Amino acid sequence: MSKKECVAMLLAGGQGSRLKALTNKVAKPAVSFGGKYRIIDFVLSNCANSGITTVGVLTQYRPYLLHSYLGTGEAWDLDERGAGVAILPPYATQKGGAWYAGTADAITQNIGYLEEQDPEYTLILSGDQLYRMNYGEMLAVHKKNNADLTVAVMPVDWSEASRFGIMNCDDEGRIVEFEEKPAQPKSNLASMGIYIFNTDLLVRTLEADAQDASSEHDFGKNIIPTLLAAGKRLYTYQFKDYWRDVGTVASFHEANMELLGEQPAFDLYSTEAPIMSNASTRPPAYVGHYADVDDALIANGCTILGHVKHSVVSIDAYVGERATVIDSVLFPGARVEDGATVVNVVLGTNAVVKEGATLGDPKEETIAIGDDDVIEKEAE
Amino acid sequence: MQKALGLITANYGIATPSVLVENRPVASLPFLGRFRLVDFPLSNMVNAGIRTVGLIMPPNYRSLIDHVGSGKDWDLDRKEGGLFVMPGSPFGTSRQGGRFLVRDLVLNRQLFERNSEDYVVLSTCNIIFNADVKSLLEKHVSSGADLTLVTRKMAEANPSVLGLTIEDGKVVGKKFGVDFGDTGFLDLAIINRELLLKLVDTFSAMEDKDLICALVETGEVRHLNVQCVNFDGYYAAIFDTDHYYRASMDQLNPKVLAELSPKERFIKTKAHDNAPAKYEPGSHVTNSLVAAGDRIYGSVTDSVLSRDVIVETGATVRNSIVMQGVVIRAGALVTNAIIDRGNVIAPGTELRGTNDDILVLGKVSE
Repeated sequence: MSKKECVAMLLAGGQGSRLKALTNKVAKPAVSFGGKYRIIDFVLSNCANSGITTVGVLTQYRPYLLHSYLGTGEAWDLDERGAGVAILPPYATQKGGAWYAGTADAITQNIGYLEEQDPEYTLILSGDQLYRMNYGEMLAVHKKNNADLTVAVMPVDWSEASRFGIMNCDDEGRIVEFEEKPAQPKSNLASMGIYIFNTDLLVRTLEADAQDASSEHDFGKNIIPTLLAAGKRLYTYQFKDYWRDVGTVASFHEANMELLGEQPAFDLYSTEAPIMSNASTRPPAYVGHYADVDDALIANGCTILGHVKHSVVSIDAYVGERATVIDSVLFPGARVEDGATVVNVVLGTNAVVKEGATLGDPKEETIAIGDDDVIEKEAE
Repeated sequence: MQKALGLITANYGIATPSVLVENRPVASLPFLGRFRLVDFPLSNMVNAGIRTVGLIMPPNYRSLIDHVGSGKDWDLDRKEGGLFVMPGSPFGTSRQGGRFLVRDLVLNRQLFERNSEDYVVLSTCNIIFNADVKSLLEKHVSSGADLTLVTRKMAEANPSVLGLTIEDGKVVGKKFGVDFGDTGFLDLAIINRELLLKLVDTFSAMEDKDLICALVETGEVRHLNVQCVNFDGYYAAIFDTDHYYRASMDQLNPKVLAELSPKERFIKTKAHDNAPAKYEPGSHVTNSLVAAGDRIYGSVTDSVLSRDVIVETGATVRNSIVMQGVVIRAGALVTNAIIDRGNVIAPGTELRGTNDDILVLGKVSE
């Protein structure tokens, strides 16, 4: 087989602890999103739509569901011979074994996989971001600049810039300075945690970093500053479209809400670069005689008998008679039983809000209910 | 676990074809916005643990092969066994006269020779129901039957269902067409494989006959232990436009749909990457089935919408079946109609059928 141009290494081991109850049982990339997807679908679809057919997925936290969901990668057409999805959990060797101790360490521990694939370029991705990007364009920019490392960046609000890793660049887009969460940002170009490395340099840098006892083995904190100090050619690739890193329950809820309305911020219906998923095939949703659905996404297999407004309702969810669902996200199989009300809630997979129960408040923080939890009606 | 292989015929003619099957075999007729009719026999078989299924193809097989592919979505992409796409005999699909034509069995004799399962489950595509084939197989074995026929006391007349005359538990006669109360054959049978091979040879000279018909006409059936098992769940025999319309509307009762595709034996179909349906602000949907990928701005009542349908602002769909990719433009009205794939209903157009005379708009070739 000819040498591969580019393989993707997808970091999917994170817990996403700020998603609270939503990651009680699954890793953040496996959290349901948008009615029929899981968060990782977006990045996997981007790979497939960009023609990157070799994807190593690094898993760690609660990997079972993620592994079974990925399967052979066929749902994203990533089940090719000599390519496709490879699931890369931490492993033991004759010298012992260790958990992945940082984003860079996770790749370091899989240098063997990278060497076997032997790509010219390595694309580092996070499995927990929502966006649509053609990595081919980013690779073209990387090659045009004859860069050693290209970092995808996007402009953020100046008021927010001190929360991000900020890239200060010259007019050609070459990175001259990198500041992690600067108090006084000089630029508003934030790193998206998406990198293209020349593989040889990546491997050498990771091997050196692994020997450095003071390193946190993190791309942002260690690898980029090291390369910058060494005078390597670091460039940015500017991305301006929709991108969300749904770190918290509030931002997760908001990203779901951004799929609604007449001009949603993210278009799920694009046929050019479709978002693929490994969802089960279910009959169409049934919307009942007295149902009232207004501004909602409703997936197959649902039964809607009550009122749903400005909400995302996932596969096989149930909204009973006289039940009300507003500004909420129902995960697959979630049930809001007859007469129950949920407002501003993310209801986990197969979670149940019992008949007549009330949950959530539009003025308070969004409530996240874990998978399989049952909310009873409070005693009167 | 009883070892059986399956055979689905998809290449027979029916008496009252509708415009819906002009450009596609009945096996790939879309149903319920999500499925195609072949999904029902395929799922009935794989849900019973059957891992080898032969599918006899009709001449106009493009849409059917596109749907079944390698059999992946039914877990029939096996190294051992799996889905066998098989040729149908070149003649006779335009005439009615049986579903399990002897010549197709002769032509595909290899399927029965090369596999060692003890039993063969035979099915067609026109009658949709969720059959517990596993139990039927167990019953077939425990009763010592040579041939099990799944039958039904008919709830309504149907000119295309094969009626059976049964005396003292023996099948003594048959005719196409059933009246209310007759015993109808639901085109689902279990036969011992060795016996089937023998019958294929015995009847090879009358190859234009249906196997079941040949058995009855020659009197051969009297030498066999034939068990008729009554199926008492929901079924729909879809042989014309009206049947198709009624069967679709039946599914607006969630109990019927739950019976047709229960959790433990759900109907499998080809996976697609459609986003969830989007109900826009101001849309109005009641008593309808709405498939993924739909975008609804207007009003939809008592209807079944297939994937990727757009109902624009001010458009109204009532008592209708709208198939994949149809666009109902602003202000258009569609009632008591079946709108086949690819149609775009111009703004302000009114398409009105009646309950007794369903308006059908045929498929637009892409």
